[in-house]
Amino acid sequence: MASLKLEHIKKVYDKNVVAVHDFNLEIQDKEFIVFVGPSGCGKSTTLRMIAGLEDISGGTLTIGDRVVNDVEPKDRDIAMVFQNYALYPHITVYENMAFSLRLRKMSNEEVHRRVCQAAEILGITEYLARKPKNLSGGQRQRVAIGRAIVREPQVFLMDEPLSNLDAKLRNQMRAEIILLRKRIDTTFIYVTHDQTEAMTLGDRIVIMKDGYIQQVGTPQEVFEAPRNLFVAGFIGSPQMNFLKAKLVKEAGGKYSAQLYGLSVPLDEEKCAKLAAKNVGSQDVTLGIRPEHTQLVFDQTANTIEGTLRVNEMMGSELHLHVDLVDGTSVILRIPTLDLTEAQRAGLTYGSKLRFTFPEKVTHLFDPKSEESLLF
Amino acid sequence: MTNNANVAAGQQKLRSKKGHERRINGTIYTVLVVMSIVWLVPFVFLVLQSFRSYKLEKGGMVDYLLPKHFSLDNYAFLFEGSNFFSWLGKALIVGLIVAAVSAVLIHACGKLLDKGEESRGRRIALIGGSLLVGFVALTALTAAMQGFVLAGSWVKVLLSLLLFVLAGWIMARVYLKQDSKLLRSIPGYVVEDRHEGLKKFVAMLAEFLVLGIIVQFILAPMTMSQYVRWYINTLTIALFTAVLQTAIVLSVSYALSRLRFKGRKLIMNAVLVLGLFPGFLTMITLYFLLKQLGLTQAGAVPGLILIYCASSGMGYYISKGFFDTIPKSLDESARIDGATRFQVFLKIIMPLAKPIVIYTILMAFMAPWGDYVFASYVAFGHQNGYNVAVGLYNWVNTNDFQNYFTRFCAGGVLVAVPITALFLALQKYYVEGVTGGAVKG
Amino acid sequence: MVDLDYLKMSKPQKFVHNLGRFFKALPGRIGGGFVRLGRAIGGCFKGLALAIADLFTTFKNGDWKTRLSYLVMGSGSLARGQWGRGLLFFLFQTVFNLYMVNFGMAYLSKLGTLGTVATEKVGRKTVYGDNSFLILLYGVLTLFFVVAFLYTWYANIKQNKISQQIEASGRKLKSTKDDLQSLMDSQFHKTLLALPTLGVFVFTILPIFFMILVAFTNFDYNHQPPSKLFTWVGFENFKQLLSSGSASYGDTFRQVLFWTLVWAFFATFLNYFLGMFVAIMINKKGIKLKKVWRTILVMTIAIPQFVSLLYVSKMFAADGLINTYLMKWHWISQPIPFWTDPGWARFTIILINIWIGIPYLMLIATGILMNIPADLYESARIDGANAMQMYGKITLPYMLFVTGPYLLTSFTGNINNFNVIFLLSQGKPMGLAGNAGHTDLLITWLYRMTVSDTNYKIAAVIGIMVFVVLAVINLVVYNLIPSVKNEEDFQ
Repeated sequence: MASLKLEHIKKVYDKNVVAVHDFNLEIQDKEFIVFVGPSGCGKSTTLRMIAGLEDISGGTLTIGDRVVNDVEPKDRDIAMVFQNYALYPHITVYENMAFSLRLRKMSNEEVHRRVCQAAEILGITEYLARKPKNLSGGQRQRVAIGRAIVREPQVFLMDEPLSNLDAKLRNQMRAEIILLRKRIDTTFIYVTHDQTEAMTLGDRIVIMKDGYIQQVGTPQEVFEAPRNLFVAGFIGSPQMNFLKAKLVKEAGGKYSAQLYGLSVPLDEEKCAKLAAKNVGSQDVTLGIRPEHTQLVFDQTANTIEGTLRVNEMMGSELHLHVDLVDGTSVILRIPTLDLTEAQRAGLTYGSKLRFTFPEKVTHLFDPKSEESLLF
Repeated sequence: MTNNANVAAGQQKLRSKKGHERRINGTIYTVLVVMSIVWLVPFVFLVLQSFRSYKLEKGGMVDYLLPKHFSLDNYAFLFEGSNFFSWLGKALIVGLIVAAVSAVLIHACGKLLDKGEESRGRRIALIGGSLLVGFVALTALTAAMQGFVLAGSWVKVLLSLLLFVLAGWIMARVYLKQDSKLLRSIPGYVVEDRHEGLKKFVAMLAEFLVLGIIVQFILAPMTMSQYVRWYINTLTIALFTAVLQTAIVLSVSYALSRLRFKGRKLIMNAVLVLGLFPGFLTMITLYFLLKQLGLTQAGAVPGLILIYCASSGMGYYISKGFFDTIPKSLDESARIDGATRFQVFLKIIMPLAKPIVIYTILMAFMAPWGDYVFASYVAFGHQNGYNVAVGLYNWVNTNDFQNYFTRFCAGGVLVAVPITALFLALQKYYVEGVTGGAVKG
Repeated sequence: MVDLDYLKMSKPQKFVHNLGRFFKALPGRIGGGFVRLGRAIGGCFKGLALAIADLFTTFKNGDWKTRLSYLVMGSGSLARGQWGRGLLFFLFQTVFNLYMVNFGMAYLSKLGTLGTVATEKVGRKTVYGDNSFLILLYGVLTLFFVVAFLYTWYANIKQNKISQQIEASGRKLKSTKDDLQSLMDSQFHKTLLALPTLGVFVFTILPIFFMILVAFTNFDYNHQPPSKLFTWVGFENFKQLLSSGSASYGDTFRQVLFWTLVWAFFATFLNYFLGMFVAIMINKKGIKLKKVWRTILVMTIAIPQFVSLLYVSKMFAADGLINTYLMKWHWISQPIPFWTDPGWARFTIILINIWIGIPYLMLIATGILMNIPADLYESARIDGANAMQMYGKITLPYMLFVTGPYLLTSFTGNINNFNVIFLLSQGKPMGLAGNAGHTDLLITWLYRMTVSDTNYKIAAVIGIMVFVVLAVINLVVYNLIPSVKNEEDFQ
C-alpha cells in the first residue's frame, strides 16, 4: 500500500531509440491505474521500469517515499503478474505460491497460512499439488495472481494478464479482478491494450501512444472529453466517427458547425470554451460516436444522407456502415428495438438512408494539431 | 456394371499401391539389416578376439575369427597383481552397511523431527549428531575390517569425513523435505505414491553405497595392476572433469544467455575467434605450464583434469542455446519474487535445464576416456600416469603388438561396455543436446 | 515492398539472379567489413583518447582521496570506507609491483632479443645462460599483466570518480557488504565468469599468443632451451612453409592442405546426406523397430574411438581380418594395400569415417525431421505433391536451412579432426617432404612437428595457417548465408 510518483521518467534504448518520453504521473495509495494504448506505445516498458526489470534512463521513480531508481526488483516490495503467467514449471502450485515467502525466510506455518488463504480466495485449493502444466489457462491465471497476492505487496503490477485467455474467460476474469481488488485493497497498476478492460477496471486511465501520455483521467472523463483525436478514436467501440466540418463563428459569441449541408449550432458551454480560446472560423474535425446517431425516416431537413454498405446485426443493435457523398465512411449504432420490422427490412445493401445526431454529444478537433478544441 | 468396374479398378490400384509400399519397406529393411551388420561386426570381432588366449594362441593377427579355446586369460592379465575383486567385495559390503545405517539414521531423524516442533537448531543438531555418530561407527567398522589402523593418515580421515557429512547433509535435507508432516497436512498435497517413494529410497541407498565405496577407497586403497591403475586414473579424471566442467560450462552459458553486461558480445566473439585455432597448437606451452605446476608425469591425473576443465568455458554453445529457450519472464518473475540472480540460477533455471545438465555431464565424462594426445603428452612415458587410451594404444602400437593385441581387445571391451551402457541409458539427453545444438547452429 | 519481378523468375533464373547479386554485393561487403574494422580501430583509439582525457579531468576535479588513488591504488576507496574494494585494489598493486621488480622486468627487458647469454660448459659444470623459452613465455605473461594492471588502475580511478559523484549528490556509498551481495545479484556475471575466464586466459589465450610469437622465431630441435638459445627471425618460417624449394615445405603444405580440404568436404557432406538418408529410412511410416536400428547405429558414438578405430585400423591391416579372409576365400591373391597405398588409404579413411559419422547425423536429422510441421506435408499432399517432390520441396530445403550453421561447424571440426586420422593411419603412408604422410591433415602434421620432430616454429606456422584457412571459410560462408536465407525462409 503505497503511492507512486513518476517524474520525468524516460526510457532510451541503444542511445537513440526512445521508448518512453517524459512520463509524469502521481498514483495515489490504493488506486487502480490502467495504462492503455496500442502495442509499442511504451506502456509495458513503463510498467517494467516500475518493476525494476528495465533500467530507468532518466527521471525519478518514487514508491512510498523512497526513490527506487537503483533498487533491485526484489527490494521494491512489488508483485507482478505476467502476460504468459511465468509460473515455475518444475514445482507445484503450492511451491509456486510459496516461492517468494520462502525466499523471505518466513516460517513454514506462516507460509502455509498465507498460501492456503490466497488459494481460498482464488478458488484453487484443490489444484495446489499440481504442476502448472496440468492446469487450464484460467487456472494458471489464478495461480499467477495468487503468487502475487501471498506477498501482500505495496504495489501490484499486472502486464496484460488477460490477453492469453479466450473471450469468455477474459470477461469472467475481469469481473474477478474487480472483486479481488475489493478484497485486497492495494495499489494496482494494470497494463492492457484492450480499452474495455481499461474502462471497466481503472479508477484512472493513462492513455499512451508512441511513448507519450495522451491523456490521464477517469474512464468517464476520457470517454466524454477526449483530449485529442487519438484518445477519441481509441476509447469506445466501434470507433468514433470523424467528419470534416466547418466551424463558423457567428455574432454574439455563438458558434455553429457546418457539414454536408447541415448546420449544427453549438450549445452554450461549448461556445463559451471556444470563445475563451478565441477560436475563429476554421476547418474542424467533428467527432460523433456511433451510439449517438439516430436514423431518420421522415423527410426533415436537418439530416445527413448516405448509402448503406454493410449492415451488421449484433442482436440488440445494428451496426450500419454508411458511405457519405464524399466517400467518408461512418458507422451508426442503432438499437434494434428503435426500428420497426419494415424499417429494418429496408436496410439493405445500397439503400439510401438519413441520420442525425444530438448537438450536445459532438466533439470538435483541430484537424492540424489533432487536439480537441474544447479544452 | 461401370460401378463394379470402378470398384475393381480402385481395389487393384490400392493393391498395387500396397505392393509398392511393401517393396519399398522390404528394401529399407534389407538396407538397415546390412547396415546393422556392418555396424556391429567390428565390435563382435573385438569381443571374440578378447577371448583368444594370449598364452595358448600366440599372434596378434590370425586368419581365423573364432578362438580355438575360449579363455579368460586376457582378462586375467588385466587384473594380474591387483586385489581388485576382493577389494571390491569388501568395499561393497562396507558401502551396503554405510547405506543401511545411514538410511536408518536419517529416517529416524525425520521421524524425530516430525514429532517435535520445526526449528532450525533442532534439525541441525539432530542430523549433524546422527551423522557424526554414524561416521565414527562406520570408520571404526571399515578400519576393523581392513585391519587398518587410522593413525598416520589424518588427511584421509578428514577428507572422507568431509565427503560423508556433505553428502549426508544434502540427502538428509532432500529426504526430510519430502517426508515432513507439515507438507502432508496441506489439503490436496499428495505425498509421492509408494512407487515414487521407493525409487527415491533406492536412489538414496545407491548414493550411500557409492559413498561407502569412496570412503573405502580413501581409507584402504587397493593394490593395482597396470591396467587397473590406468582405469582408475581415467575414472578419476572423468569424474572430476564431469563435475568441474559441467559447473564451468553451465556458469558461462547462464551468464551469456541470461545476464546482460558490458563485454558480453566481446567474450562471445573472442571465443569464436579462439575456437578457430587448432587445439594442439598450444600443446608444448600447456605442457610447460603444467610442468611448472608439477602436474606432468606422476601428476598427470590432476594435470589432465586441469587442462580439460580450464578452457571448457569455451564450449558454452549448446547449453546457452538451451538456456535461451527458457522464457525470460521466469527469471523476471523470480527476481520480483525476491530472488537474487544467483537464486534464480539455482532454483529456477537449473531444475529446468536438467536435460542439458545431463548432456553436459555425459559429454564431459565420456571425453577423457578417448583422449590420447594430451594424455600421452602430459604423462610422457610415466606409466602410472597413463589413462586407458594411452596404455592400450601403446600396447598395440609398440613392437610387441602381435603379442598384446588380444589383451588390447580385452582392455577395450572393459572400457567400452560401461561407457556404452551409460551412453545408451542417457541417449535421450544426448539426442536432445546434439539436435538442439545443431539446429541452433 | 514486394519485388514482383523477382517472384516471377523461374528457379534457375532466381539462382543466377542471387548469385549475381551476391558477387555484386561482395566487394561492397568486403569493403564494408574493412570500413567497419577501420571504424572499430578508430573507435578504440577514440575511446583510449577519451579515457586519457577523462583521467586528466578526473584528476583536476578530484578531491584528495581521488588524487591519491592515482598513486596508491585503492587508497581513495579505503579513505571512503569501502575497505573491501580498497584492499583488493591495494593488494593488486602490491602484487604487481613485487612481480615486476622481482620477476617481470627482467623477462620483459630481454623480450627483444630472447636472451643473449648462451649456456656453456665450464669444465664439468654446466653454467646455464638465458632460457629463450622462459623469456618469451614470461615476457608475454608480463605484457598481459601490465595491460591488466593499467586497466585495473583505470578502473580504480573511475571508481573514485563515481564515488565522488555519489557523495556529492548526497547518496550513500556502497559498503563492502553491498559489494559482496551484489556479486550474487547484479554483478553475478563476474562471479560466474571469473574462474572460466581466468582458465581460458592462462590455458588458451596465453599459449596461443605465445605460439603465434614462436612462429616468428627459430625455435626447433637445433635451438632447444635451456641448452641453446633461439631468437627472432621475422617471416622466415612462413617463407619456408609456403615457398617451393628443396629446403622448403611448400609442396608438402599444398598437398596436405588439398587433402585436408578434400577430406573435410567428404567427411562433412557424405556423412550429411547419407545420415539424412538413413534417418528418413528409419523414420518412414511403417518401419518397425525404429529404436533398435537407432541404438545399433549409435554404438559407434558410444564406444570410445580409441577402441573402435584402433581395432578397425587393425582389421584393415595387410595381415588383418579383412585381407586374410578375402585371401582365404580366394577373392584376392594379394592383400589390398589399405594403409600402404596413398589412394587406398585416403579412400579407406573416408569409408571408415562414414561408419563413425552417419549415426551422429542420423540423430540430428531425426530430431529435425520430427520438427518439420506436419501441416507442411499435408498441404503439399493436398496440392498434389508426390513423395519425391515433398522431399525435394520441403524436407531437403528445411534441413539445409536449419542445419546450415551446423554444416559450417562440422566442416571446421573435420578440418581439425585429429582422432580419426591419428587412430586409423597416423598419417601414413609417409613420403612427403617435412616428414608428412599422404593422409596427414594439417593438424596431424602439426602434431608430428610438435611431438616427434620438435620443430616448433613450423608447427606454429601450420597452426596459424589452419586458423587462416578456417577464418576465410567462415567469413565467406557467413557472408553467403544471408543470401541463402531469403529463399528458404521457414521461420
